[in-house]
Parts: sequence; structure tokens; C-alpha cells
Amino acid sequence: MASTQPLRRTTTEGDVQTEDAVETKKPWNVIVWNDPVTPMAVVVVIFRKIFGYSNNKCTQLMLAVHHEGRALVWSGHRERAESYCVKLQVSGLQSTIEQDA
Amino acid sequence: MAGSKIFTRRRDGRVEVRMNDYGRSVVRSAFANVLAAERDPDHEWHVSLTGPIDPSLDQDNPVAMLARQTETSTNAELASLTVDEQFLNDAEAWVWLTTLQVALRSTAQTNGLLTDELLAEADEQMLSYVRTIQSLLFDLAACF
Repeated sequence: MASTQPLRRTTTEGDVQTEDAVETKKPWNVIVWNDPVTPMAVVVVIFRKIFGYSNNKCTQLMLAVHHEGRALVWSGHRERAESYCVKLQVSGLQSTIEQDA
Repeated sequence: MAGSKIFTRRRDGRVEVRMNDYGRSVVRSAFANVLAAERDPDHEWHVSLTGPIDPSLDQDNPVAMLARQTETSTNAELASLTVDEQFLNDAEAWVWLTTLQVALRSTAQTNGLLTDELLAEADEQMLSYVRTIQSLLFDLAACF
């Protein structure tokens, strides 16, 4: 029988970056654009499924898309932004990525 | 009226589809068109399936483009394979929703229905098709 080794680390010391080591790269934003045909309920469901946001947050984002024409729905590393953008496009929403100004 | 719902989430987790032959023919056509558009660069919906990811670049990351193509095709294939089913599991219901949504937006983009005003000016046949798909999507979204 295999011995059971502890899986949990005893400390996270050393994981925290010092101020000098923090990268200052600008984040990448995932943008969702409005269109006149997509039902609002569908947008909420897709946001919840892809990002796991609360129903309230998904509704707020959907309303921002509807009223302002676009909304920033996620921000962070480029690779993840690209991946989320693809998931949104595959789900039928118009989405793009852009680097924070 | 609860009895008029086309999609209903059952207690066992499956989504029941109560759709007549006409409804099935509409979704079958939508699924088939998404699949065809993904594979055929000359299909009128192809452009709407290949929009930019990062508009600041001349060409998007090929890995991301391939992921999009593969996932869209896989979803449309599963949706097509289950188009005659009375009960859908969660994954199947999800690909129905996403593939119908892709079909709806492709229809709108291809026909220039890019604003509320242009949509209002569309011909009756086009409006009827858009409203049918919207109604199906609205009903299906309530299952999630």
C-alpha cells in the first residue's frame, strides 16, 4: 500500500512577491459588444456559465452591454483573456480583447 | 403558461424538449448551417464565425482561432446529433443554446441587422425567423 504523504503545504512564505518584483504590465480586457437580437436572459446565462459570476453581477454586466454598447467583463493575463474571448464567441456573443489603456 | 414551454428542466436534471415537426426543422436547419459555415469559407455565415479576437492585430493567434473553430464545430455536431431527442442532458442542452445563439447572431450579421432600427425595418419573414429563434433561446435559457 502506498504511503500517504501530506498534500497541503505548510507555508506560503516566499510566494508573495516583493514590491520590486511585481510586474507592471497592463492587463488585458475582455469586451462584450451589444447586438440587437440576442435575448438578455441568454447573455446572463452565458456570463454565469463562462465566468461563474453571481446572477446579480451577470445581470449588471448584461445591462452595461445593453445600455453602453459594450462592457468589460474580465481583466487579467492575455492568454486567459484570449481563452475567455473564444468561449464567448463560441457561445455566440460578440467579444474582443484589448490591452488596458 | 407553464404548459406552453418548449424546454422544461425536469427533476432528474434532463431538459425535456416539447417541439413540433416545424420547430425541429427550424433548429435542424440552424444547426446544419452553423456546421456548414464553420467548414466552408464561402458560406454566407462564415465571416460571422471568424470575427477578430484582438482587433489590433492583422492576424489572431492561430491556437485561439483553432480552438474556436474546433469548439464551434463540436458543439454544432452534438446539437445536430441530438436534434430529434425528446430529452437532453445538461451538455446537450448547452450546445443547443450556444449553437442556436451562433445561428441567430450570424443571421443578424449576414442580413445587416446591426441596430434596433435596422432590425425594425427587416422584412416580415426575416423578423419572424429572428423572433422564433429568440423565443427558443429565451425558453432554453430559463433551464440554466
